[in-house]
Amino acid sequence: MTIKKGLAYRRVAGELFVVDAGKARLHELNGPAAVIWEGLAKNRSQAEIAAEIAAQFEVDEAAALADVGDFIRELRGAGLLA
Amino acid sequence: MAVRRGAPGLAIAGFGVDFKSDSAGIITILRRRYAPFLAKQGRGLELTVFEGPNRRTPFRPCVESGAGRLKLRRGDFDAEIFAGAGRGKAAIAPNEQCLDAFLRSLISWNLLESGGLMLHSSGIVLGGKAYVFPGRSGAGKSTLAKLALKAGAEVISDEINLLRPGPRGWRAYGSPFWGEMRAGGRQASWPVGGLLLLKKAAAPSVLSCAQGEAFRTVMRCLVNFSRSAEVSAKALLAAGRLLAAVPARRLGFSKDNADFLEFIG
Repeated sequence: MTIKKGLAYRRVAGELFVVDAGKARLHELNGPAAVIWEGLAKNRSQAEIAAEIAAQFEVDEAAALADVGDFIRELRGAGLLA
Repeated sequence: MAVRRGAPGLAIAGFGVDFKSDSAGIITILRRRYAPFLAKQGRGLELTVFEGPNRRTPFRPCVESGAGRLKLRRGDFDAEIFAGAGRGKAAIAPNEQCLDAFLRSLISWNLLESGGLMLHSSGIVLGGKAYVFPGRSGAGKSTLAKLALKAGAEVISDEINLLRPGPRGWRAYGSPFWGEMRAGGRQASWPVGGLLLLKKAAAPSVLSCAQGEAFRTVMRCLVNFSRSAEVSAKALLAAGRLLAAVPARRLGFSKDNADFLEFIG
């Protein structure tokens, strides 16, 4: 699971902005979504990302893992993953 | 083909372009359309320009770079620039719209490469400082600029402003790229006093705005024709640095008067 090539991103004031120049689109991610994105950028597994979310947002790891899976499907649907 | 040496040089946002062309049509347009931005030759990119076909498509410019070479293409222009050598060549349809589109593509690239940015925005001068109002179509950029002009303020542009960081902060440069007002602009630069996001309102007001909101607006108003991740990263960095250095607020203004000017600065 990797981020599509050709995207640039940057955190500003707690939000993560992703530029898809090929499609001339700007995506904004905040909270857990930004953590998931940054985990994917570091090639972390879904379980590792879920553990990070559980630690940061005080949710249990099972729920976090389900959320990570859901969001990754969203990212794939948006064409942001390779 | 002999290349005439009488073509003008231009200086826009501190970038020089020395045109060489055998086309009387292109030389005439350059001298007339960009009169306030004419400059002595020998200070910038040497660009040999030939007349090219006036194709309508593709309409959106395409900017690509790699291996020291920059390519700028649209239906009506096709340019190749060797940045290291400081020269290039371009086939350009001899009309104002095409030259405008070509120069917008080139200058937007130059700005991003130098840490600056080209922004869809109005820009006005108050108290020696530039105030920039980013906004997309319909946000009120031209309306605000016309009101400011009528009230005695200088307008930098009602459509596209050119911002660069310098040793003493960000500066807005005179722009030849205008919207409804179709004015000429002039060669000058001013320290940027602030960015103001536009909101139409019955009464003028200035409110704080979240940095994320300002960043989102700047990114959506930024002019970038490149599709590369590297250039997108430069755009993100430039927008972040601009907002770290320049205060951003939200301006409420009415289209009926220039009272908002008292709230700026």
